[in-house]
Amino acid sequence: MADTSTAQNRPGLKAWLLAAEPGSRLQARLGRFYVSWRAFLGNPLAVIGLVIVVALLICAAFADLLATHSPYIGGNLRTERLLPPDSEFWLGTDDQARDIYSRIVYGSRLTLLVVILVSVIATPIGLAIGTISGYFGSWVDVVLMRLTDIFLAFPRLVLALAFVAALGPGIENAIIAIAITAWPPYARIARAETLTIRNSEFIQAVRLQGGSSARIIVKHVVPLCLSSVIVRVTLDMAGIILTAAGLGFLGLGAQPPLPEWGAMIAAGRRFLIDQWWVAAMPGIAIFVVSLGFNLLGDGLRDVLDPKAAK
Amino acid sequence: MAQPILKLENVSVAFGGGRLRVTAVDDVSFALKDGESLGLVGESGTGKSTVLRAISGLAPIRDGRILLDGREVPSPRDLAFYATVQMVFQDPYGSLHPRHTVDQILSEPLAIHRRPDPDTLISNVLRDVGLGPSFRFRYPHQLSGGQRQRVAVARALILRPRIILLDEPTSALDASVQAEILNLLEALRAEHGLSYILVSHDLAVVAHLCERLLVMQRGGIVEEMTADELRAGAVANPHTAAMVAASRGFERRANSL
Amino acid sequence: MSERPLLAIEDLRVRFKLRRGTVEAVRGISFSLGRERLGIVGESGSGKSQTGRAILGLTPPPGEVTAKRLEFDGIDLLSAGASQVWRLRGSRMTMVMQDPKYSLDPVMPVGAQIVEAYRAHVKASNAEAREKALEMLAAVQLRDPTRVLSLYPHELSGGMGQRVMIAMMLVTDPDLLIADEPTSALDVTVQLEVLRILDDLVSQRGMGLIFISHDLELVSSFCDRVLVMYAGKVVEELKASRLADAQHPYTRGLMRCLPKLEGDQHPLPVLDRDPAWAL
Repeated sequence: MADTSTAQNRPGLKAWLLAAEPGSRLQARLGRFYVSWRAFLGNPLAVIGLVIVVALLICAAFADLLATHSPYIGGNLRTERLLPPDSEFWLGTDDQARDIYSRIVYGSRLTLLVVILVSVIATPIGLAIGTISGYFGSWVDVVLMRLTDIFLAFPRLVLALAFVAALGPGIENAIIAIAITAWPPYARIARAETLTIRNSEFIQAVRLQGGSSARIIVKHVVPLCLSSVIVRVTLDMAGIILTAAGLGFLGLGAQPPLPEWGAMIAAGRRFLIDQWWVAAMPGIAIFVVSLGFNLLGDGLRDVLDPKAAK
Repeated sequence: MAQPILKLENVSVAFGGGRLRVTAVDDVSFALKDGESLGLVGESGTGKSTVLRAISGLAPIRDGRILLDGREVPSPRDLAFYATVQMVFQDPYGSLHPRHTVDQILSEPLAIHRRPDPDTLISNVLRDVGLGPSFRFRYPHQLSGGQRQRVAVARALILRPRIILLDEPTSALDASVQAEILNLLEALRAEHGLSYILVSHDLAVVAHLCERLLVMQRGGIVEEMTADELRAGAVANPHTAAMVAASRGFERRANSL
Repeated sequence: MSERPLLAIEDLRVRFKLRRGTVEAVRGISFSLGRERLGIVGESGSGKSQTGRAILGLTPPPGEVTAKRLEFDGIDLLSAGASQVWRLRGSRMTMVMQDPKYSLDPVMPVGAQIVEAYRAHVKASNAEAREKALEMLAAVQLRDPTRVLSLYPHELSGGMGQRVMIAMMLVTDPDLLIADEPTSALDVTVQLEVLRILDDLVSQRGMGLIFISHDLELVSSFCDRVLVMYAGKVVEELKASRLADAQHPYTRGLMRCLPKLEGDQHPLPVLDRDPAWAL
């Protein structure tokens, strides 16, 4: 197995990955991943999406290095308020003389936090409920799907408002509220996939070996649902970002002085006419990141779609 | 007289209820002797595949009993049953999990039954079905139809069962590949002392692989005979006779063109 | 007096340009067809179905069809415009496919589909077309054609569906019929009935027939001539009555490896694929 790939090792690694007769499970898995990766790279828009998402990750990870000023402490309130973009303040300053660029860079951490936590909470819930519902059918299916319908009926923002009214504003509560409304579509997708494969012969074969339902669901059904759910989750991320921004805009998400992008837009509303950059810059950031997740999701769907897989 | 290894007594399988009730298997009784290869022939919709599914527990039995080694099989079936009776399905493209390697497919039954030393067992069974170790980590879409069916046979074989139920195992394969799989099944039966129940619509395949056969029509057994009797044309039932005549092929009428 | 051949094909090639490379499904086959029955036999991947589709212009994208000659009754199919091919297809040359479940429109009654097929190529009123449809349904020996007219495809059995398909494909009185595994999805006893009907109709109308199948015995009992295809090429051509004199090892191997009701070898002789056959 090659460790680091220099220019000379490249052909060796590629040949190993594409070997028609893999020698180990790891090699087979990596080989399949490599083939999908090459297919993904063939789609320029998807690559753009991936670049944007990676840029977001880098921004969040290296915010300390990338930011030029402190995101929390403003400069001179007399001379540095509401300055337009220039060489020192790359995207201008807001009404508290804070550098907008730096705030956006640090704000990426909050955006990422919301997206990751919501996905991590909602996806397993959706997968579990969807696969169990689809696999067992009958009353289990009915009960779980009606439960799903109940949660699907809540518009995200409204539920978040209710939560926040009950528990107080803050980014943690916003995340919980969004996660609770995010899982129903994943459950539906997982259920649809499960219904398709539930009676396949390869599932019957495992039952004929004595496999328990839990084993079948976890090892055999879930891997086949994963692609569709991943695509949906990625496409949803744009919506999650916008919802979090909406909550921030309403003052219910991240609280000041956290540089949450939605809250920044809200704060910049008053200056929209003359100092448009205060609201527009975070707005553009939200737009770009949402677009990036959308493009990435589309690209993943093209690659993971089973019909295109061969 | 030795006890049959598998016995069906007045087994009926029906789906749906009330007006929508469909009787797929109607009062079927037969016995499988240890080491015997029994064929179930019939056209589509005659219930022959449903009989296999009833035996394996995949289809619920409305009436009757199934006896394995003289003891009634539990419902739902237990691990001991699955270690004794296994099945090979018809569609090589649908019977293997598309996201699992051959290795994963074969380790699954071993893990469920907690058999030790899975590595050796997997290598051995791959050799038994004529696939070398190079196939071990391939995915199904990297295998041909015949290779997939060999993996399906390996999967059925790896628990060392005594009975293998074969549901049209070669119907979806090309003629040349069918010959290989039939030879494989025959060799394995001799080597491991297996008993087969083979379901097929192809009389020639059944006559080749089985010693005795049952003809099914509309969910019931209409005739029973040995393969030799079939070859000699000693058929009583008109439906069977029609099938035999049809398998001889088409005879063109003389025409002027 | 020699008649112009119904079909003249020279060096037909069908290529699929896929991401992972170019796949050549048909690699240069040539034959001609008069008003006779030609069988094309091969296993999966031999290119036999793609040949039939290429003749009718039904090759799915990204397939490309090239040939030195691809003529139907003197008309060059490669240079003919799409509208001309469309006019020919369905009226003078038609195709019956394997499974009527997938080749008939599931949301229309079958009578309406036959009428539509007829009126697409022949100027006729609805009533005239309906009469013709009834005539064809009777010709394929369906009892109670009037009732069958109003049935939906899912209400027909396999054999009935295939007869409806044949009726639909012969309603315009074509010169050439291509049958791609027309009986493979049917029960054995039903197969014979459907073949009998096809036999009578093809003889009565003096049509040309191309019968594509994987079943060598069946094809040789039904056709006058047989082409055996392997890996996109024709490896043998023989008269159906002289099947026993087949020369090519693939054809001989194919015949030997089938289990026979009368008795056969244990183990069955297995086809030993020589890579030279694919060259």
